[in-house]
Amino acid sequence: MNEGEQAQLKLTELGKHILDPILENKFPVIDVPDRNTSNIVYEAQRNRFVLGASKNIRDSSNINHIRSFTQLAWVASYSKQLLKASRTSSLRDLYYSSEAFGVSFKDQAESDRIVTDLESVTGLPRESFGIFPDEHSSIYGELIMRYTVPDYNGREIDLTISPDGLPIGPAIMTAEPVRTNAEIVLAVESGGMFSRLIETKAWQRFKAVLIQLGGQPPRATRSLIRTLHKELDLPVYLFTDGDPWGMHIARVIMSGSANSAHIDGLTTPEAKWIGVTPQDIEQYSLPTDKLNDADLKRLDELSRDVRYSDSEWQHHIEGFRRLRTKAEQQAFSRYGMDFVVDTYLSDKIA
Amino acid sequence: MNQRAPVETTFESISPAEFFYRNRQLAGFGNTSQAIYSAVRELVENSLDSCDDAQRLPLIEVQVMSEGGDIIRVCVSDNGTGVPDAHVPQAFAKILYGSKFHNRQRRGTFGLGVTMAVLYGQITTDSPVLVHTKCPDSQGMEYALFIDVETNQPIIESSCSRDRDSDGTSVTLRLRGDLKRAQERILEYLRLTTISTPQAQFLLKTDNAESITFGRWSNSVPSPILTSNPHPRAADLELLRRLAQHNGDKRLQDFLVDSFQKVGTKTSGRFLKFVGFNPTRKVNTLTRDDLSRISSALRKFDGFESPDHKSLSPIGEEDFLVGIRSVFNISSHYYSDRGPSEWQGNPFIIEGVLATGDDFPRSDIPTLYRFANRVPLLYDSSEDVLTKTLKRVNWERYSVDSSVPAALFLHLCSTRVPYKAAGKQSIDTIPEIEAEVVSLLRDLGRRLGRTMRKSEKSLREGKKMREYAKSFRHLAKFGAELAGVDEVPDTNRLVKQLFEVSLDE
Repeated sequence: MNEGEQAQLKLTELGKHILDPILENKFPVIDVPDRNTSNIVYEAQRNRFVLGASKNIRDSSNINHIRSFTQLAWVASYSKQLLKASRTSSLRDLYYSSEAFGVSFKDQAESDRIVTDLESVTGLPRESFGIFPDEHSSIYGELIMRYTVPDYNGREIDLTISPDGLPIGPAIMTAEPVRTNAEIVLAVESGGMFSRLIETKAWQRFKAVLIQLGGQPPRATRSLIRTLHKELDLPVYLFTDGDPWGMHIARVIMSGSANSAHIDGLTTPEAKWIGVTPQDIEQYSLPTDKLNDADLKRLDELSRDVRYSDSEWQHHIEGFRRLRTKAEQQAFSRYGMDFVVDTYLSDKIA
Repeated sequence: MNQRAPVETTFESISPAEFFYRNRQLAGFGNTSQAIYSAVRELVENSLDSCDDAQRLPLIEVQVMSEGGDIIRVCVSDNGTGVPDAHVPQAFAKILYGSKFHNRQRRGTFGLGVTMAVLYGQITTDSPVLVHTKCPDSQGMEYALFIDVETNQPIIESSCSRDRDSDGTSVTLRLRGDLKRAQERILEYLRLTTISTPQAQFLLKTDNAESITFGRWSNSVPSPILTSNPHPRAADLELLRRLAQHNGDKRLQDFLVDSFQKVGTKTSGRFLKFVGFNPTRKVNTLTRDDLSRISSALRKFDGFESPDHKSLSPIGEEDFLVGIRSVFNISSHYYSDRGPSEWQGNPFIIEGVLATGDDFPRSDIPTLYRFANRVPLLYDSSEDVLTKTLKRVNWERYSVDSSVPAALFLHLCSTRVPYKAAGKQSIDTIPEIEAEVVSLLRDLGRRLGRTMRKSEKSLREGKKMREYAKSFRHLAKFGAELAGVDEVPDTNRLVKQLFEVSLDE
């Protein structure tokens, strides 16, 4: 059974789960797995973090539950229409479509949350239902992919086709890697660094597929990283800013986010965070800024987070706390345009 | 330096007629539009008082017609008691002569109003007042009267027997005025009068308009208003001295019991002990000093009961509401009253209706309609104690805001209404009255607020249910779509089940 059929089946199940009680003059009730960080546990078998046993109950006889229950049913029926018509929708599209069906959301954050509810209930990622995030990361490198989306099905694409890189949308995400000359995946946080690495032909030098994360990357990007790692056996290096937020971008790619702990197929536990680490800041004498209150608070939160429980990560957290400074990827520019490629990355990716 | 000759000061007395002729704005005859309104008003009030006395449902015809130029003929005709022949000249052509100086609630108070209208007509058009009246024991008489301003005496221009179908009085005046500007006021006045006297019916005829009927909304004749003895706290030295003169042989204790309301032998005894007088002492042995001591003690002693209400005639909940409902579109209303209390010994009752309805403007505070002794007050509202007190109340606390069109009808009745001027348009700020008004307004506010909150709540509940029903209907629809079922099940039954339980709570 392919992914689309599986999603269809899940949606039909959900429909029956709602309809059958009503036909028996009862109020439908549904369990939604609790996505609170306190309900995240490590599952050794799958080597990733998953949701624990805690559930939230949505009871349609409860006046405070009916709204979100109905919203969930709408998102599901909207998905069904997407699948039927082989269409996709961005989260933003979905938010705006709701009004036409008499379902209202306070804001897009609310509709995004309901989409996540649908994922938790069905155990399938939103992409399976044709729903994609609005933001895009980019990819560039000597890699041929084959599309699986309608109209492009079977067509191959060379990811060096544009010097700006190619946006990672639904099509690339679901495409299959065909062949590559690359030996690693190098994911970088900022667009500036991504462009620098393309321009300086660092991708040739390191034989790297470059991925621009653009902050906390969308799931399509995380899923693609995982695919490249699994299918092509490419080691993955993550290069972010040297601050708690950059560190967490790397950690989410490895171990998953709280918001998608219910989804399989997103994490790459074997990926490696190369920096900028607190040690790098010291070792390379990078220009720094002081950590502000928000940074320090974030460090406190991370130090208690189950995903940071092992000593390596605690060590990084301690490092930031000790230095009380942070450095951006671009900080290497103080040693000249090419330093980051010639020296830093060479050291790290050796 | 030339010494200036001293100005010669001359002394003279002037008659009341002369005084009010010179100061006519005091009595509401200051300008041409106010004059017509005041004339109509004074005549109508006399007619209503007279119908009260006759214990009859008032039927009053008001005609206000132009007679060329700015000369206006005002004629008011009633079915009251009529005026006995002997009193007609004095009653209509002598200022400060009248039947209204007794200790009971009346619309008219000074014996001034109608004679001022007569005087104003005489001055501006040089024509007499025509009075056609019939008492039960007469066939009807018609008089034409002038006022001798210098001596304040009536001049009988003519008098003759003229039959009148039934008891009552018709008074016709000619005066100069601005009818156009007065007309709105007169309409408003009559309309509001049917609220404070819902037993009355008015027929208004003006130029080039069909006659308009106002009222009657109620067929119950108010109980007769009785004169009562003054309350002891009203006993200033002058009053006490006069009473003492007429009761010289009485023993002090009996004198107090006979002269004042709410004073029995017990109270009288306690009071005399308090002030230190022998109860058996004869009244004619009291010195001026003694009287002065008794007078001030009467006003200080706190052992007297609240004053009698027999001399007052509040509109009452039923009539007040009937009147308001007949004149305005009302969606909700609350009645409350306070009293009888007294100010300087004058008993008073304050009653009010707080009403909501689309006829009223939306504002932060309710629109105020003032009434005193069943007379609507239309002018000088900003100076009035009722207006001032209304503004002092924090209406927001009672859920009154600009989203609620509300009006407040306040009626003060007293044996003496403390008007600021003889024009009887605004009530003076008397602490005792103010305090009762505040309590009344708070009581009304609380009751309105309670209902507002309740109706807001039930509105919210209703809205909640509609929203729930809609959501649940959608849930069923989406569920059917997902399950691939064409027929969407009915959800009304489930929704009803759910809300029958929670709405009954």
